[in-house]
Amino acid sequence: MDHIRNFCIIAHIDHGKSTLADRLIQRCGAVEAREFRDQILDSMDLERERGITIKANTVSLPYTAKDGRTYELNLIDTPGHVDFSHEVRRSLMSCEGALLVVDASQGVEAQTVANLYLATELGLTVVPVINKIDLPSADVERVMEEIDRDLGLDPFAAIQVSAKLGTGVDDLLEAIVTQLPPPRGDPQAPVRALLFDAQYDAYRGAVLLVRFFDGTLRAGTRVRLMHSDALHKVEEVGFERLKRVPAGQLSAGEVGYVLAGIKSLSGLAIGDTLTEAERPAAEPVPGYREAKPVVFSSIYPMATDDYEDLTKALEKLKLNDASLIYEKDSSAALGFGFRCGFLGLLHLDVVQERLEREYGLSLILSAPSVRYRVVLLDGKEVWVDNPTFYPDAGGIQAVFEPYIKASIMTPERYLGTVMELCRERRGAETTHRFLAAGRMEVVSQLPLAEVLFDFYDRLKSITQGYGSFDYELLDYRLGDLVKVDILVNGEKVDALSQLVHRDFARPRALRYCERLAKTIPRQQFKIAIQGAIGGQIIARTTINPFRKDVTAKCYGGDITRKRKLLEKQKEGKKKMKMVGAVEIPQEAFVAVLRTETDEDED
Amino acid sequence: MLKAGAAARRRFVQHLLAEVPLAAGAWSDPRPFDTVYFGGGTPSQLPAEDLAGVLEACRAHLPIAAEAWVSVEVNPEDVTAEACAAWRRLGARTLSLGVQSFSDEALRFLGRRHHARQARAAVQTALDAGFHTVSVDLIFGLPGQASEAWQRDLDAAVALGPHHVSCYQLTIHERTRFGVAAKRGQLVEMPESEQAVLFELTHRRLADAGYAAYEVSNFARTSDHESRHNRKYWDHTPYLGLGPSAHSLAIADAAGSPGARRWWNELRTPRWEARIAAGEPPVGGEEALGPRELATEAVLLGLRTAAGIDLAAFAARYGFDLLAANAALLDRLVADGRLTVESRPGAARLVPTLAGLAVADGLGAAFEVPAVASPV
Repeated sequence: MDHIRNFCIIAHIDHGKSTLADRLIQRCGAVEAREFRDQILDSMDLERERGITIKANTVSLPYTAKDGRTYELNLIDTPGHVDFSHEVRRSLMSCEGALLVVDASQGVEAQTVANLYLATELGLTVVPVINKIDLPSADVERVMEEIDRDLGLDPFAAIQVSAKLGTGVDDLLEAIVTQLPPPRGDPQAPVRALLFDAQYDAYRGAVLLVRFFDGTLRAGTRVRLMHSDALHKVEEVGFERLKRVPAGQLSAGEVGYVLAGIKSLSGLAIGDTLTEAERPAAEPVPGYREAKPVVFSSIYPMATDDYEDLTKALEKLKLNDASLIYEKDSSAALGFGFRCGFLGLLHLDVVQERLEREYGLSLILSAPSVRYRVVLLDGKEVWVDNPTFYPDAGGIQAVFEPYIKASIMTPERYLGTVMELCRERRGAETTHRFLAAGRMEVVSQLPLAEVLFDFYDRLKSITQGYGSFDYELLDYRLGDLVKVDILVNGEKVDALSQLVHRDFARPRALRYCERLAKTIPRQQFKIAIQGAIGGQIIARTTINPFRKDVTAKCYGGDITRKRKLLEKQKEGKKKMKMVGAVEIPQEAFVAVLRTETDEDED
Repeated sequence: MLKAGAAARRRFVQHLLAEVPLAAGAWSDPRPFDTVYFGGGTPSQLPAEDLAGVLEACRAHLPIAAEAWVSVEVNPEDVTAEACAAWRRLGARTLSLGVQSFSDEALRFLGRRHHARQARAAVQTALDAGFHTVSVDLIFGLPGQASEAWQRDLDAAVALGPHHVSCYQLTIHERTRFGVAAKRGQLVEMPESEQAVLFELTHRRLADAGYAAYEVSNFARTSDHESRHNRKYWDHTPYLGLGPSAHSLAIADAAGSPGARRWWNELRTPRWEARIAAGEPPVGGEEALGPRELATEAVLLGLRTAAGIDLAAFAARYGFDLLAANAALLDRLVADGRLTVESRPGAARLVPTLAGLAVADGLGAAFEVPAVASPV
C-alpha cells in the first residue's frame, strides 16, 4: 500500500486544474503523445468549453520516482460546483491528499478557500501548487503571501509550475510521492469500498468507480451495495488508465473499476458502499446522502416535431447521468415535453446545454420550481413540483416549502451586502463568524426556491467573484405561497405559471408581463398581458396594435410582391405558438423564462 | 419614364406598336376589354397622336369594346387646353393628374418639375375641358411633414373640386434616391404613429368634403367616378399590360379549381425593346396562381377596399368559409373595431373599418387561408 497515492486536484475555476491533470497524465506516460487531447479528463465538450468539470473522472498513473520505486498515482478528478457538492465530497473522501492549485496572477480566490476547508475537514493533506508561473502577469511572491495569510499553508512547500509548458511537473510528481501519505486499510478485512462515480458502457453496462478502504475483491465474488441493498456478481475488476485495464484483484487503498453486469445506472447511488455478500462490512463508508432532485423544470422542444428526438436524447443522457429524472409532461402552449428533476440549477443548465449541443435540440424550459408539500383541507398531503398541478387555493390548508442551510464565504468587506442578500431572499437566523483574517462565513436558513432565482449570480456579483456558496437541505417549513398565472388576452399560458411567495408575486408577475410585452410582436389587435392570482389581476401590460400597416399602392406588380411577402411572413408564423388568437414567438418564452435577474438590463 | 429625346420616344412607340400583336397572339380570353389605361409612367410625354396610334393598334389586334373607358395619366406641366382636347379626341374620359402636392417645398423634395401654381392651373384646365372624371394624385407622409401641411394640400385639392382623389403615402423603397438617403441617415421615414394620424386625417377630411374612400388610397365623389380600371387589379379581372415592366393576369381555372397566370414584361426598356425586335413577347417572368394563392390575394385585396369581401362569392369560388376558418381572430378584430361583418340577407360582407383599412396589410396576413381543393 506504500506505493499508492490517492489524490485530487482542487482549484478555483480557470486556475488550470484540467491542464495540470493533462500534464501529469502525459508525464507518467499513461497515454501516447499522438493520442493526447488537451484536457483529457474533461471528456465532454461542454466541460472543455466552460472550463469546469461536471462529471468526475479518474485515472491511475504508474510513476517511477527518484527513489527508484514505481508508484501507483490515482488522480481522482472532482467536479467544481455546489450542485455537485456530494460528488466533490465523495471524490475528496476517496483521497488522502489534494493538490490545491492557485493561479499565479489571480491569487487565492473564493473557491480556493472553500475547497481548502472541505479538504482539511475531510482530513486530507494539502499541497499548494502555484500554476501559470509563465504568465507575464504572474506574481509568485504575492501569491505565496496569500497562501500563508489566507490559507494558512506553508508557502515554501508550494510547488511552482506552468502546466501549460510542463515546468515544475517533475517536482510536483515528487511532492505527491513524498508529501502525500499512502492509504491505510486492512486487505484481509471484509470489503468496504466507496462508489464515488459510475459511467455507462454500451457493452458492459455500469462501470463502478470505487475506492477500496478495506478488503480485497476478485472477479466472481458476490457483492452487495449497502444502501441500495442490491446484490451483484463481480465480472471484472481493474484500473482506469484512460482505458480500462483488467487486474486480478483490487484491494485496500486502491482505486479502480468494478464491472458486475449492472444494466443501467439508474439503480445506482453514488456514495454507496460496496461490500461482500457473504462477509459484509460492519459499517458503510460514512457520509452517504441520497442524491435527490431538488429543482424541477419542464423541457419542451422549440419545434413540436422534435419531441421524438428529445425523448431519445433524454434516454441517452440518463444512461450517463443517473441523477437526472424525467417524466412526460404537456402544455397547452408548448405541446409535449418532459418534467425533469435536477440536483440543482447548474445541473439543470448542464442538462440543457448537453441536450442542445450534443443532440442539436432547441429547447424551452419552464421556470424552475422546488417541490412543495401541500396539506389539503381534508388533511391529505400532496407533493407538487409543477405549478400546473397546484391544487385550487380554496382547497389548501397549508403549504410547506424546502429550506436549506446556506453557508456563504466572503471577504469581510462584502459582509453587509451578503447579509442583505440573505434578508431579501427571506433568510432566517442569519449569522456570521470570522474565519481567517478578513474572511467571513455567513450562515442563513433560506427557502430553496429563493436560491433558484439568480442567487448564485447575485452573490458572485456583489462579492466581485469572491463569495462562495454551499448548501444542504434542512427541512420543510410553512410558507405563504401563491400560484401566479400569466394571461394573454384572458387565456392562461400554462407554461408560464409559477409558485411564488406572496410578497414576490406582484413584482414577479409584472416582470413576466413586461418581458412578454417586449418580445411579443405587435399584432392586429390590442393584447392584454396580465398576471393573476386566481381571479385577481395583480399585474398588467398592454401591447398596442399597429395603427398603420398598409402600403399605399396596390396595382399590377405590387400584388405579387405583396403576396410573396405575406407567404414569407406566414412561414415565420409557423414557429409561433398560438394562445387564443395571439401569436407568441418562441423567443418570448425564452425571454420570459430565462434565468431571473433583478433588473432587466434593457 | 422617358428622359431621352425625340428619337428615343419614337423608338419606344415603334416597339410598343410592335408589342401589340405579339401580346395579342398570347392572349386567349375572348371577352372584350372595357377599359384602357395609359399610365404607370408619364404617357403625357408622348404626343396624343402616338397614344392614338397605340390604341388603334390595340383595337386592331385585341377585342377592345367600342365604348371602352379610356384613362390617361398625365403630368401637370403637360396639361394645356390643347392637350386636353387631343386626349378627349382619343376618347379619354378619365384624366389622372400626378399633382403630388400643392406645396413648392414638397414638390422640390419629391423632385418634380412642376410648381404648385402650375398644378392648380392644370387641374382647373382639366376640369374645364369636360372630362367625365378628373383625378388628382397626392403624396403624404414626407419626412417631417406636419399634419397642418398635409391638411393644406387636402384643402387645396378639395377647393379645386376634382371628381376623384388618390392619396398615396410616400413609400421609401430600397435602391431609390430616397432609399439610399434613408440608409445614410439623411432622411428619416415618418414614424408609424404619425403616419396613422395623417392617414386618418386624409380619410376624415375627404369624407367631410364628400369624397368616399373606396380603397386604402382612393376617393371618389360618386361611385361613377371610381376607377373602373384599377378595380380590376383588386378583383382578379383579367388584364393585359404592354410596355416595360407591365403586368398581366389571365384567369386559368382548371379541373374545377380556381387558377390564374400572372406575367410581367422585361423591366428595363432596352431589354424590352430587344425582345420585341427579336419578334418575341417581351415577357420577363411569370407565376402560376393556384386556389390558395388566389384566395390569399382575394383576402389581401378585398380588405383594402371599402366594399370588403363578398363572403358568399368567396366561399363559392374558394370552397371554404373565410369566417369559420378564422373565428378566433375575427372575434378580436371585430371587438377591436378593425372589421365588421355586414350581414344583409344573401349579401354578407367582411368589411374593414377605417382603422382596419389603415392596417389592411396586417389584416390580410393574419387571416388563415386553408389549403383546400375547391369547386369553382
